Amino acid sequence: MEQAEAAITPDEPAIVPVSFTDLTLLFVRIGLTSFGGGLSAWLYREVVGRRHWMKDDDFLGALTMSQVLPGANVINLSIYVGHRLHGGLGAAAALSALLLPPMVVVILIAMLFERVGDLPWLHNSLEGIAAAAMGMTIAMGLRSGRRALANGRWSLFIIVAIFAAIGVLRWPLVPVVLVLTFVSLLFARGRP
Amino acid sequence: MRGNLYLQLIGVFAPLSLLSFGGGQSIIADIHLQSVDVFHWVTQAQFVDLFAISRAAPGPGALFTTLIGWHVGGWLGALVASLALFVPSSILAYAVARMWNVHGDKPWFSQVQRALIPLASGLILAGAYAVLSNSSGGVSIWLIAAVAAALFMRFDKMNPLPVLFVAGVAQALIQAWL
Repeated sequence: MEQAEAAITPDEPAIVPVSFTDLTLLFVRIGLTSFGGGLSAWLYREVVGRRHWMKDDDFLGALTMSQVLPGANVINLSIYVGHRLHGGLGAAAALSALLLPPMVVVILIAMLFERVGDLPWLHNSLEGIAAAAMGMTIAMGLRSGRRALANGRWSLFIIVAIFAAIGVLRWPLVPVVLVLTFVSLLFARGRP
Repeated sequence: MRGNLYLQLIGVFAPLSLLSFGGGQSIIADIHLQSVDVFHWVTQAQFVDLFAISRAAPGPGALFTTLIGWHVGGWLGALVASLALFVPSSILAYAVARMWNVHGDKPWFSQVQRALIPLASGLILAGAYAVLSNSSGGVSIWLIAAVAAALFMRFDKMNPLPVLFVAGVAQALIQAWL
């Protein structure tokens, strides 16, 4: 099993074990620094890219599941990552570390806004920050797209179909994902 | 009266928790209806402001709900609204994560995971596209996103914060100039 995995992804580094404290601290940090949104991309960069706590496939599979389930995507994803790395306690720690500190911060920012009123430059710089955060999200999408294409060129069809249906045509997400998951499974079936 | 408010917050946000398929965007319209038109927790202008703050501030955009709760009910209102929105969907996600991890080491499961990668990729790109096309910031928004994407592709271990900071300054300058 280990060998088969290694044969598929020879360039993927080995998984690094992670302590409960490190897990919690990472989620606190992401919760407090992720200005402009795009939290899944932050998680991806840290958990898969920089720290090698989880494999690409594992993370991206969970991300798709997080999108299908009700609730904020990154919250569902954090529950999965926490559970994967440290069981039920890990899931609870990841969730509360991700949510509680920024809850306080966002309220403090709102208090400040009510005091100073709406400043155009502040509004514009917030939009700029959000755009860069979306740039990070795009980079994650392209990276995972490259990963998908390594499994076969049929992946491109799925990527384009999802993008057109959800991003451009704004069709409802759940039926689109369910149908395309089925198609994707047919393509992926029987391949090494 | 106060107790009534907390019950109302729970009554609005707890059902939405399990209806928010595809992330927060899908329930924004209903949150708007309930909090502006039905319960008058916030005015239209306050709704837009709080939404913008929750998007720009650190943490998930779903903290928008926290802000509505705070605006109408103080810190306790913030806590009640947040728990109402986050707890039901999180319990479901936890149950699914448990099931998912039980099968994590089986061969068929890695095949399922591989099949889900192109879906993840398409969904991520579609989400970024939707957010950018809803932005009011003009062409420079797309340009900033493209440059940031190229940087993050090229330097995958780079700290994102300096890029976010420069992007904020750049957009403010460009809009002031035009």
